[in-house]
Amino acid sequence: MTSLPLHGIRVVDISRVFAMPYCGAYLADLGAEVIKIDTHYSEFVDTTRTLNGPYPDNQPLDNYWETGGTFQTLNRGKRSLTLDLRSESGLNTLKQLVQISDIFLENFTPRVMRRFGLDYPNLKTINPDLIMVSNTGYGHSGPWSDFGAMATALEPTHGTGAFMGYLDYDENGNSSEGNIPNKIANSYTDFLASWTAQLAIMTGLYNRYNTGRGTWVDLAMYQVGASFMGEGVLDYAFNGRRSRRIGNRHEYFAPHGCYKCRDRDSWVVLAIRDDCEWQIFCEIVGDPRLINNDDFKDPIIRYKYQDKLDLIINDWTSVRTAADVMELLQGRGVPCGSTINAKEMLSNPQFSDRGYFETLTHPPGSHIGQKRYTSRGWRLSGNDIKMKKPSPELGEGNTYVLSELLALPDSDILQLKNDEAIGNTLKGAAIPSVIPLDRQVDLGWIVDHD
Amino acid sequence: MGMLNGIRVLELGGGVSAPFCGKLLADYGADVIKIETPLGGDPSRHVGPFVNNDPHPEKSIPFLYLNTNKRSITLDIFSRSGREILDSLMRTSDIVIQNMSVDEIEVLGIRPQSLEDINPRLIITSITPFGLSGPYKHFESTDIVTYALSGLMYHSGDSDREPLRNVLNQSFYVSGINAAVATTAALFQRLTSGIGQGVEVSVIECLASHLVQPVPYYEYMGAIKGRRPVRGSGFDELMPARDGYVVPSIQGSQPWSVIADLIGPSALQDEKFGTGSGRIEYGEEIKSLLIEGLSSWDRKPLFEASGEKRLVFGMAQDAGDLYDCSHLDNRGFFIDVDHPVVGLARYPGMGPKISENDSGMAKAAPLLGQHNREMFQESLGYSSEDLVDLYVCGVI
Repeated sequence: MTSLPLHGIRVVDISRVFAMPYCGAYLADLGAEVIKIDTHYSEFVDTTRTLNGPYPDNQPLDNYWETGGTFQTLNRGKRSLTLDLRSESGLNTLKQLVQISDIFLENFTPRVMRRFGLDYPNLKTINPDLIMVSNTGYGHSGPWSDFGAMATALEPTHGTGAFMGYLDYDENGNSSEGNIPNKIANSYTDFLASWTAQLAIMTGLYNRYNTGRGTWVDLAMYQVGASFMGEGVLDYAFNGRRSRRIGNRHEYFAPHGCYKCRDRDSWVVLAIRDDCEWQIFCEIVGDPRLINNDDFKDPIIRYKYQDKLDLIINDWTSVRTAADVMELLQGRGVPCGSTINAKEMLSNPQFSDRGYFETLTHPPGSHIGQKRYTSRGWRLSGNDIKMKKPSPELGEGNTYVLSELLALPDSDILQLKNDEAIGNTLKGAAIPSVIPLDRQVDLGWIVDHD
Repeated sequence: MGMLNGIRVLELGGGVSAPFCGKLLADYGADVIKIETPLGGDPSRHVGPFVNNDPHPEKSIPFLYLNTNKRSITLDIFSRSGREILDSLMRTSDIVIQNMSVDEIEVLGIRPQSLEDINPRLIITSITPFGLSGPYKHFESTDIVTYALSGLMYHSGDSDREPLRNVLNQSFYVSGINAAVATTAALFQRLTSGIGQGVEVSVIECLASHLVQPVPYYEYMGAIKGRRPVRGSGFDELMPARDGYVVPSIQGSQPWSVIADLIGPSALQDEKFGTGSGRIEYGEEIKSLLIEGLSSWDRKPLFEASGEKRLVFGMAQDAGDLYDCSHLDNRGFFIDVDHPVVGLARYPGMGPKISENDSGMAKAAPLLGQHNREMFQESLGYSSEDLVDLYVCGVI
């Protein structure tokens, strides 16, 4: 097809951190013009510019706010307009931009949005067919609606920890369901929110084309998270079961788990779904304790004696590399995979063969060079969807948006300058101090480094 | 009113990923027709937990959750007559979502280039563990395998233990919603292009897309991020409170004194704990004070007190806590669903609240083949005798 799916769609993205900025990045990948509303005041800037890093070689330079790897992942392909919303000129400019845009992304609390007059009822009066996503921890209604949130604390709140946790073992090595919740981590809920917002936007655009009407998406990350735990909630509704912490085991078949391999912090998972796979597995492992035990041919007995089976399997895996175990088992059609880390992902043959990681070349002044980034989980056969350009430098799009897009008179632009509502250099910040990688290993923040 | 009213979706395969994609599209108003095998139907009908622990193909809880608002027909799409019926359904449909294996897709030719003659406007979405190409494309897989090979699992769990998965099939939920995103992007594009296209979803690539910190950590610094550190101050981690676990957080815009005051022990007020570097240096000291303070708090009062003080603590809730949550109830999250076999229950509803989309209605998951008669007779014009023939021959 000649133009990308979102060609001609303009997005104003005033959001911060992970969930909505990533949504905006995907919209840019799909061909939309995405304008990130930045600020040059460090106390209000998107903290992924300043706090999250990682900076190239762990060395933040004078332009550090342009060089964070996570910031670069989340804001690729966008333009940047700096606006200080505390000034009337800044706030008015934002409203003018919303007026000529199709989509508005934000993740402030309802209180802040009302204070700025940027809540949906207000914006709808200046742009009736606007599609707006309000991403919050707990939504715009309900008793918790004014609570802020961060995904790392929100994730257990919406229930993931009820369905993950290590098994408990007694002194004889017999396991039982665990009592301690655990986390998927990596800001899991942020991504559920990002995917949810993207879906609501696509259907909103489709609906707007047919009906001419805009949409407001009241996206409470807590509620989105609970919908991903729906099976578990429904199990409680019918059966009263509150949690299921069974380590890496399966509810019905065995063996099923995560086993230690030879190298440091190296593991494989495997799943034996039926007697046929069990037979093949026994042949590969070749351990007489498995082969000569007819009881294990019965899936119910295998399930019952998993503690014993796990020890035998660990004996076998722990003297092999994860890659060897995976090759042996997958070679004969037994589900198995190694738990790869980021270094291994970046050299993994499947990701490489499919070109999953996309490379961006950063401008010479940025001192970033060429870097690879996570792309998308899907492809469209009629489009060549790619990341278009690196994340914008602070205020990179000021002239374009103010003079070209909004065609503001010079007096208005002068007013913005006089109000110091726009700017290209981060004010009131110092180069962040970073912790040396060896120290980060000691602290347990990273496992290792090259 | 749903925003996708008038869109017809055929759902092939089963389990979790394609059905979750179908469920989302149905929530937005699409008419989603499950095409189930006459021999037992969607495999998730045979997966527990079951209502009242009674194993029965209409009582599977995953199935009941994943298939609300849909219709079901049975059809052996591998038989010649079944395939003819599938083709005629595809002529009048907008979207096909499927999560069959790469081999099955090839045998059936459910690919854009093979279906152009049947319906050039059709959007054909496939969800496979590793995608339709690459050295792993024929690998056997389950949720834990895709979770591991995506990279996400390495980062879940404790740093001194093995990686840990969530048991609610999250890799398939995440790929299901990503499939819905890409499918609706193709649908929007069709409004102007007039033609359909193929949407190819890889489960591991969907989950890998979550790793916006570990990947740049390596790419930018050569550093390998791992699982939750077992050392440190305990902030932003799960910590024991009186009736369960909470996540005390230093995030939010409040000074340290507000956080220390909320947690309790006066020794926490020490200014040396008030900076990031102080919390690193005195991590173990903070952790023991934190444990002391939290031991006099229950989860929910602490959580609500933190919210009122503009802090962002979390708490570990279980399925019962969510089901009884008055906040979710107040937002209209739950929907009453009446099912002919398992009866009336309160189901979790849509994640987002959308002004243009009605989320108050839910039809129960269909019985196996419940809509055969209306689809085959009313929509496709088969006679009662034809239906008998198809049934006896095992096609439906």
